[in-house]
Amino acid sequence: MTDFVHPALLFILGAPLIPLLKGTIRKAYVLLIPLLAILAVLTMQPGSYGAAQFIGQEILIAKVDKLSIVFATVFTIMALIGMVYALHLTRAGQHVAAFVYVGSALGVVFAGDYLTLFLFWEGMAFASAYLVFAQRGEQAIRAGFRYLMVHITGGVVLLGGIMLHAVATGSLLFGPIEGEMGVAAYLILAGFILNAAVPPLNAWLTDAYPEATVTGAVFMSAFTTKTAVYVLARAFPGTELLVWLGTVMALYGVIYAVLENDCRRLLAYHIVSQVGYMVVGIGIGTEMAVNGATSHAFAHILYKGLLFMGAGAVIHVTGRRKLTELGGLYRTMPVTVALYMVGAFAISAFPFFSGFVTKSMVVAAAEQDHRALVVLALTMASSGTFLHTGLKLPYYMFFGVDRGLEAREPPRNMLVAMAMAAVLCIAIGVFPQPLYALLPHPVDFEPYTGVHVTESLGVLMFTALGFVVFLRALDPENTISIDTDWFYRKGARYFMWLAEKPLARYEKAVSDVSETVALPFLHGTARAGLQIDLNGVDAAVNGVARSILRGGGALRRLQTGVVTHYALAMIVGVIAATLVFAVAWR
Amino acid sequence: MQLPLLSLIVFTPAAGAAVVMFLRNDNAVRWTALAFTVLDFTLCIAMLTGFDTTTYEMQFTETHPWVPALGITYALGVDGISALFVFLTALLGWICVLASWVAIDRKVKEFMVSLLVMQALMLGVFCALDLFLFYVFWEAMLIPMYLIIGVWGGDGRVYAAFKFFLFTLAGSLVFLIGVIVLYFHGGQTFDIPALTAQHLPFPVQSWLFFAFLIAFAVKVPMVPLHTWLPDAHVQAPTAGSIILAGVLLKMGAYGFLRFSLPMLPEASVHYSTLMQALSALAIVYGGLLALAQDDLKKLVAYSSISHMGLVTLGIFTLNLRGLEGGILQMFNHGVTTGALFLFVGLIYERTHTRSIADYGGLMKVAPVYTAFLALFALSSMALPGTNSFVGELLVLSGAFAASLAIGSVAVMGALLGAAYLLGMYGKVALGPASVGLRFKIRDVDAREMAAILPLAIFVLWVGLYPKPFLAIIDASVKHLLAQVHDKGGAR
Repeated sequence: MTDFVHPALLFILGAPLIPLLKGTIRKAYVLLIPLLAILAVLTMQPGSYGAAQFIGQEILIAKVDKLSIVFATVFTIMALIGMVYALHLTRAGQHVAAFVYVGSALGVVFAGDYLTLFLFWEGMAFASAYLVFAQRGEQAIRAGFRYLMVHITGGVVLLGGIMLHAVATGSLLFGPIEGEMGVAAYLILAGFILNAAVPPLNAWLTDAYPEATVTGAVFMSAFTTKTAVYVLARAFPGTELLVWLGTVMALYGVIYAVLENDCRRLLAYHIVSQVGYMVVGIGIGTEMAVNGATSHAFAHILYKGLLFMGAGAVIHVTGRRKLTELGGLYRTMPVTVALYMVGAFAISAFPFFSGFVTKSMVVAAAEQDHRALVVLALTMASSGTFLHTGLKLPYYMFFGVDRGLEAREPPRNMLVAMAMAAVLCIAIGVFPQPLYALLPHPVDFEPYTGVHVTESLGVLMFTALGFVVFLRALDPENTISIDTDWFYRKGARYFMWLAEKPLARYEKAVSDVSETVALPFLHGTARAGLQIDLNGVDAAVNGVARSILRGGGALRRLQTGVVTHYALAMIVGVIAATLVFAVAWR
Repeated sequence: MQLPLLSLIVFTPAAGAAVVMFLRNDNAVRWTALAFTVLDFTLCIAMLTGFDTTTYEMQFTETHPWVPALGITYALGVDGISALFVFLTALLGWICVLASWVAIDRKVKEFMVSLLVMQALMLGVFCALDLFLFYVFWEAMLIPMYLIIGVWGGDGRVYAAFKFFLFTLAGSLVFLIGVIVLYFHGGQTFDIPALTAQHLPFPVQSWLFFAFLIAFAVKVPMVPLHTWLPDAHVQAPTAGSIILAGVLLKMGAYGFLRFSLPMLPEASVHYSTLMQALSALAIVYGGLLALAQDDLKKLVAYSSISHMGLVTLGIFTLNLRGLEGGILQMFNHGVTTGALFLFVGLIYERTHTRSIADYGGLMKVAPVYTAFLALFALSSMALPGTNSFVGELLVLSGAFAASLAIGSVAVMGALLGAAYLLGMYGKVALGPASVGLRFKIRDVDAREMAAILPLAIFVLWVGLYPKPFLAIIDASVKHLLAQVHDKGGAR
């Protein structure tokens, strides 16, 4: 056995074969490659592989350590689950794109230098954009282009940072950024946090994910933001700025989720919120915090994938995605509901579900670091998460008003994929030790203490209670006395106003900044340039040409054809020349 | 006696032109032209296999007295920099013949003669080691190019051909003055290596620098002397566009490398900031204008201005990475933009429209075409793994080392590139298959594939394994830098 087979190569080199295979063989093949990749990750030995020279720079294709292995493990597992979920697709395009996407994400995770990282970073953007394009239709193509342009912009910022970093340090090797944060470090950080969807650079995520294909969104929810978490953990652990960005993220996603009617957009906002926890962990930077961020990324990929799969199954079956158009599906899709709820409990960090054992580690790390404000914000976000993904979304999607939709369970492969993720969500929740053993630093943390369990159950139960009261209060049929609930009803209304009016406007402005500010400016400048070209430079050149022609015409008039005129002119010329010569001679 | 390989390379196309003149059948003309250009290409490969990458000295040199009274000799020779462009020119030569196979259907013989003569002259420019000989080749190029645009071009061909001719001629005249000044100041010789060894006083260098700048800036073209380019490109037939973009634009940059930098080192160092600023302006300006275009060919033409800005930026960073990147980017631009013009030509042959608005959903009717278009568009926007990325990376790292501000502006160019190329690709290739309804479109055939594939190979080869290409130029670039900084002083 070799020490290291690069799993990215399995995916990327394996991708071109997919269109050549047909039917069952293709199905077997697209599952075989992720299985081989999982095997490759499980058997790999830490070390450095593929050192080479590229344009005079030292590069390192793969640097394997515990941090990269843990991300690679969950990436390959998620690739397998995602492929099972997408197994019913007949067109090869999405499979190819997914393979390149997963391969690129793995390439980033093992990249030992900035060039390799950048190569795969861009590969990820393009491959994942295809998953949006594949949805077809005007809206998806537009969203796909916005997505791609944002990522290319981020890539350019990152590239600029990499260049400056290389000039300053003379090395392209990828590792913790040391010393003072300079321009280079901030540019690299900006490139990274764009992919992590840190507000205000988050709009691409919630814009594009709901437009992606049902199966594509499952992949997208897993890889882009989490590779960003990985590179942040690698390069910027302990950066104070990240603590605050992460805290804002965690709350921001939850607040915006309030507004959402599109089920996958709601879930997308929760990615922002959940990645916030990870960013906080990296920002705190203690061993426990980085462990927490890493393990939370691990758990998050699985349960968020599960939630997207559940929502995708509903869209696949009903063709609808708005919460107001859905409802009452629990009768026709009971298995989907059950599996979705596992994901919902996991993201809400119920004890014995995966979110609990990982999220609590981040919060505990924040406590240990005496950051009360952060802990408070994260707890609030936790409650909001449960409210939306655990209560509101399933309520409107599966229960609530029965809209009489014709529905059935999704294809078996989708259910199998969801079941796989659900089993892992519970397994990690019940037996966290194998995951803890994978983490980059030794773990000294016990999630199942009385305090943790009661605390989180308290928050969750209180949220559920709030939800029930809130729902009843919204129900016009029920007459309830306006008493103390006046505050929170009014409060809720004010909050809704806050979210709907100024915040939504701000969000829209940030999302549309390319359309409202950048594009008009760009087009205006371009038009002005064209005018300068046509009226300035061209006119000058044409003017010179015209005046030469005119001069020529004038000269031609001198040619009268009368010999005496010419003779006279010659004599005058000779005299003039002699005069000039004489003057000049003296 | 050693085989005069360079003379063979330069005059094989000319011999081809002579043979073609006696043929009557159009197809025979095409095949003969193809045979001679392919033969020329194989000679070039033979030259590169015998090329010694460890030295910066001129290789394969040939010297014969020509006009001894004035010190004019017939001298040919290549160093790493020119060898790369001799190769590029020979490669694009037979691709141009293939690109004109059906696109040129009248006066085929005359066209092929012009093309082959053009080919010989361009190769001559890159091989000449005598300034006078260089100037002869340089000026003579105008005539076949003028004919190619003016006779076989589009509706506005006469205007475009005149504009091209006037701009370049004006530049050449200033260049001629410079050459004469150089001749008298440099010891009455036209020998380029000997002139390079001279040391001119700074005021003379300064004047010469601007004389050369005007000549070369027209060719490159640098903003604001670029306005001939979009017209010439749009009106020229496909092969003309490929030659213009692939080789002619390189000559301006080659002029900087061969004359301005080594002969006028102090002036080059002194004015490098100005040149960097002009280059950055071209990058952004060309990119913005490309964004505003609806005409496919104009879009690629303006993108050329932007990309050549990157080349001149790399050259005038005056550091190793910038220079190597700039030169590599010249090669890349020849391959990629040549391919893009080829693609515009291919689709124009089918639909007779170049307006982006007329297209949409091309992917469904011509999947192979759109797949390769995607490759070259991605290459043009410098996606990692393609040739332009390596060049752009080197130029940018050179630029950032020289100046943070210039580097940042240049990076913006990359962003604009992505914007116009992705926008173009999306409108042309994606969306509902409207184009298939209005035009009868077939996918690329074997002949077209023969022209596309080699370019695609170079896109990926340089992108993934640029070492052999950088090895060719490495020694020469280092020597050039030493010349500049020994005399011009380090910055």
